[in-house]
Amino acid sequence: MATSTLGGLRLACADVAEATASDTVDGVAARWVAWPRSTEEVSAVLRAAAGLGLRVVARGTGTRLAWGLPPKGLDLIVDLSRMDAVLAHTAGDLVVSVQAGVRMVDVQDALAAHRQRLALDGADTLGGTVGGTIATAASGPLRYRYGSVRDLLIGITVVLADGTIAHAGGTVVKNVAGYDLCKIYAGSLGTLGVITEAVWRLHPLPESRRWITATTPDPSGAAVAIAAVRASQHDPTALEIQRAAPGDAVTVGVAVEGVTGGIDARAQAVADLLGAAAGVAVAVAEHPPGWWGQPLPAPQATVTCEPTGLADLLTNGPGSLCGSAGAGVLACGLHDDDRLGTDLARLRDIAQRHGGNAVLRSAAPHRKAGLDVWGPVRALTLMRRLKDQFDPDHRLAPGRFVGGI
Amino acid sequence: MTYRGAKLAVLAAELSAVVGPDGVIADRQRLRTYECDGLAQYRVVPGLVVLPESAEQVVAVVRACAALGVAFVARGSGTGLSGGALPHAEGVLIVTSRMRRILEVDPANERAIVEPGVINLDVTKAAEPYGWYFAPDPSSQQVCSVGGNVAENSGGAHCLKYGFTTHHVLGVEVVTPEGELVWLGGTTRDVAGYDLLGAFIGSEGTLGIATKIVVRLMRTPESVRCLLAAFPGVDEAGAAVSAIIADGVTPAAIEMMDALAIEAAEAAVACGYPEGAGAVLIVELDGPAAEVEHTFAAVRQHCTAAGAFEIRVARDADERARFWKGRKSAFAAVGRISPDYIVQDGVIPRTVLPDVLRRITELSAGTGVRVANVFHAGDGNLHPLVLFDEAKPGEAQAAEQLSGAILDLCISYGGSITGEHGVGIDKACHMPRMFTTDDLDVMQRLRRAFDPAGICNPGKVFPTPRLCGEVPGKRKGVHPLQAAGLAEQF
Amino acid sequence: MTAGAFDDHHPPAAELIKDCVHCGFCLPSCPTYLLWGEEMDSPRGRIQLMKAGLEGEPLSESMVGHFDACLGCMACVPACPSGVQYGTLIADTRAQVERRYERSLSQRLLRGAIFWLFPYPRRLRALRGPLALYQRSGLSRWLRRTKLLDRLPATLQVMESLIPTLTRRQQLPQWVPAQRQRRAVVGMLTGCVQDALFPDVNAATARVLAAEGCAVVIPRGQGCCGALSQHSGREDEAITFARALIDCFDAAGVDYIVVNAAGCGSAMKEYAHLLRDDSHYAPRARAFVERTRDISELLAELGPIAPRHPLNITIAYHDACHLAHAQQIRSQPRQLLHAIPGLTLTEIPEAHLCCGSAGIYNLLHPKPATELGDRKARNLLTTGASVLVTGNPGCSMQIAASARRLGHPLTVTHLASVLDASIRGVPLCDPSSAPTTPAHQNR
Repeated sequence: MATSTLGGLRLACADVAEATASDTVDGVAARWVAWPRSTEEVSAVLRAAAGLGLRVVARGTGTRLAWGLPPKGLDLIVDLSRMDAVLAHTAGDLVVSVQAGVRMVDVQDALAAHRQRLALDGADTLGGTVGGTIATAASGPLRYRYGSVRDLLIGITVVLADGTIAHAGGTVVKNVAGYDLCKIYAGSLGTLGVITEAVWRLHPLPESRRWITATTPDPSGAAVAIAAVRASQHDPTALEIQRAAPGDAVTVGVAVEGVTGGIDARAQAVADLLGAAAGVAVAVAEHPPGWWGQPLPAPQATVTCEPTGLADLLTNGPGSLCGSAGAGVLACGLHDDDRLGTDLARLRDIAQRHGGNAVLRSAAPHRKAGLDVWGPVRALTLMRRLKDQFDPDHRLAPGRFVGGI
Repeated sequence: MTYRGAKLAVLAAELSAVVGPDGVIADRQRLRTYECDGLAQYRVVPGLVVLPESAEQVVAVVRACAALGVAFVARGSGTGLSGGALPHAEGVLIVTSRMRRILEVDPANERAIVEPGVINLDVTKAAEPYGWYFAPDPSSQQVCSVGGNVAENSGGAHCLKYGFTTHHVLGVEVVTPEGELVWLGGTTRDVAGYDLLGAFIGSEGTLGIATKIVVRLMRTPESVRCLLAAFPGVDEAGAAVSAIIADGVTPAAIEMMDALAIEAAEAAVACGYPEGAGAVLIVELDGPAAEVEHTFAAVRQHCTAAGAFEIRVARDADERARFWKGRKSAFAAVGRISPDYIVQDGVIPRTVLPDVLRRITELSAGTGVRVANVFHAGDGNLHPLVLFDEAKPGEAQAAEQLSGAILDLCISYGGSITGEHGVGIDKACHMPRMFTTDDLDVMQRLRRAFDPAGICNPGKVFPTPRLCGEVPGKRKGVHPLQAAGLAEQF
Repeated sequence: MTAGAFDDHHPPAAELIKDCVHCGFCLPSCPTYLLWGEEMDSPRGRIQLMKAGLEGEPLSESMVGHFDACLGCMACVPACPSGVQYGTLIADTRAQVERRYERSLSQRLLRGAIFWLFPYPRRLRALRGPLALYQRSGLSRWLRRTKLLDRLPATLQVMESLIPTLTRRQQLPQWVPAQRQRRAVVGMLTGCVQDALFPDVNAATARVLAAEGCAVVIPRGQGCCGALSQHSGREDEAITFARALIDCFDAAGVDYIVVNAAGCGSAMKEYAHLLRDDSHYAPRARAFVERTRDISELLAELGPIAPRHPLNITIAYHDACHLAHAQQIRSQPRQLLHAIPGLTLTEIPEAHLCCGSAGIYNLLHPKPATELGDRKARNLLTTGASVLVTGNPGCSMQIAASARRLGHPLTVTHLASVLDASIRGVPLCDPSSAPTTPAHQNR
């Protein structure tokens, strides 16, 4: 059986092998791995997998394969690391087309040569691939000003479970032709299809940057400072907070970017505002603080809340907190022990008081077991139907997503 | 009475009980006032019009339609330019013009919650006293509804910097085509699950009806600077745009008009643009004063270097409004220089702008059909205005052909058939030129997830043989949707 | 053309209808669309109905209802980017309706009564005595207290609520000499409602004109300008009034004809269109239109020569539709008010929106008119102004009534009265300070 399956897959793709011990997804072992080199090859592999009834998970660098839940079953990993080309970059159009397996850091390097960037940052994001970034909707501090994957992805090529190649969007930023399917793939954890190519909207790299930080023992003071920056007209690019543990001091960090001629005046204006609002000393630097955009170790949750909920979260939230206070999306590091469940519930409680939610992102599989990882999910019926339409046999990353999808 | 007519009569009685007799329109003369939206070439008298006043009423109306298998179409202010709200002759037109309450303006949480019939500009008016505004600003912002903005993913002159409706909506309460009330998104970002909100925005009313919309508010910028630069021709103006972008400046807006468009605007509103201009650019920068001051100087230099023979800088809000007046009036103004015209909406990569404009000029010269060009130059969104006189035999057809050829041009340069007006009924037939059959099939899968019965704004966005004749491209066998009787061939 | 809603005597013109590209920019400007949110009660929808009528749809009760519901405020005209001549379209449509549509008996009686009374200054003046008695006797208050008023038909209730407190009316002389230098000879229209209910406004107008160097001719026996008839589609009646007024002022030999009521001025400026088929009067009508000015328009044109005294008040200026939309007169009144030392001018939210008075609209359609009046008054109250200035007697009555109804009685006055007070250096709105003859001061 195994040999004939491998044979079938090899007909579709030159590079297929039996899985090794390291080929697991969140603790679940795969049986085969395929390394396609083109969208057509991915399509052929998935068609073959469909014929063979294989359950499939797509993989990039594997940075965030532990997000979501472990798959309910896994036969084949489609590894996209050989699809690592930057396909087209027309600097004058501020658009780049890339294959899904290219690492984000390589994309950024290629763009930086033209004084441009894809406005997705954070150490975690940069270490992963384009496909993984889309599938997990990963983001960093820049999201305050530029949004997240959903806001920057303008075109996509995806191979569906049955091997259908589908494009959506295009190669121009302004485009409303057809459904914007880019959106549903963002953060879908590979449950709708295998992403093979992406087109991104780019932004110019700023001439100069400054980071303004203030640390206060008073969490409400930090919230007040953040509200003051939000309500100001200084147009910061990022608005972050960091708190190591409950009761610890809170650091507010603001990034300001722009032309060299205006940067110091703007940084000073933000510093004055922060100082006045938080009543503490403020530092202006030409480099980010060490914690800026750094991921938290597992287990960690993503917690969201409305702007006015921030004080509550900073005062009463468990664990360590770090992330975009400006966008209302933070990472919360939780204890890797029995307290995880109660802390997650407490965190979710606070978030829900302010219109948000807490989703357990990454944790050891045995810790996730038995926990409500996702919290309440609205419109689940529609999501299930969508899954049924795109992957009727539920063979793509089964069980990894909300509601058992 | 036909079977369908009888169904509508039953519905009319049922819906009167839901929305009151004032909320149901069933007589022919009144129905005729709803026969088209902002694209008047397409006219269909709706079977019935309903004017609900609440989400609960919309639920009841949609359920009644679903129970009888009657198609329905949602409509806001009826200003769409692709016929997206064109009624269905045997269906119900659900008009949200009475759902126009601004439910909440919450500056501390940077949001407002509005009903779908609220006029775009009224959101900004409500937020302005607090120092905030709603960023999407389509040219029709003083009349178009936020529900319509959601359906069309509306942009506007300033979307170059600030993005489209999809970037400014956090959540929508939606009545699904089966009559369920659900929330997509919410009041925060990164809501768990698929981003159905993102798919819903821009779906042109085919996935359901938004009944509440949570919009993001933006802080009004500290400084706004605007200049008007006159160039000998579009090539020079295009070069200025490229230089500005290449310099790493992201203006809030860059708008271009060519000589014919300027002529029309002068005729309509006497905007007083510099005489002899073959093209004008309006460039607007906004943001912190310290930033804008420097970038504005750079923009001026780029304009001069590219050959601008006159640059005017707006001294105040009034003068800025005067600069914009000509641009904003351009569409309607073309009526002053031509009895009839087609407003086209296509997108090209910004860098091929000079090539495409040259090709359009050639097309125009070759056919004798005049084309005025107005565009959002910053993001390559062209609005060629194709002029004709319906009274002269053959002109309408020639204009129609040229207009289609411009779209083909956009596609051939890797662009899009629509940047902001939507596909609607008008461009459904062009979709197969931009997308493969598989691409369109996959989009239909999304549609089926929301609307398995196919009753929500049917016939829009996707081509049907009824509308387009034979669709190009090979097909293998019968599509499952067709086999299941859920869709016509598309 | 016999089929359809219209006959071929000036039906709404197909060429004008074609100008409408259905963009919808008129919707938010239209008071009835704001009230009811439905297409057929919007300018675009009404044009669509006209088109349907031309294409064979009969002049049905519902179609007439939607034409009737139009206030004729013309707010849609400046809002239209395509330059659709809605005013002409609705005027032609109304004439067709009046000629071709048989209204219900009660409607006919009501309209008959209105048009028997209002366009006749003498009949209106005759009512002053009984009205003054009614107000002073306490009957008015008693009727309100006993709620007997509520039993009257809606139109009568509205009329009762609209009537201002009457002030003493003095006969204006036929000739008022210019003070300082004489810059123009102007004929003054005294109007019907203005003359009967706001005689002090006419007196103030004459004084201000004189102070600004105008010799004022006030022809005796001048009749109605025909505005109400014209705006209601009573074309023949309007034509009769127009001819008479042209005769009257042609005989006076004046440089300008000055009007202090927006509705009248706008109608008079339409004479050329109204009399387009009359070979004898058409050229005279064009000349008449050339010479017709709103008081604010003329004063702004001439420029001030009379010194202003300070008036330390905060006022809100209300754009009468027939000034702002129909005659494009917005800046002139504001400019004149701004020039008064000490005076603070505020703007009313939703300024473009009609107050619901609209000629006789508030008598024919009391419910929407009242809703609009109250909306205007609420908007007005947010400005904190203590005095409302407007250029039309209908608006004055309508907004004052709404403000009273909301429990915030307001001083409502005319631009001419404010200018008069400033020029004479007396407090505003103090009728007792009015001189006995119009040209008495500064002598």
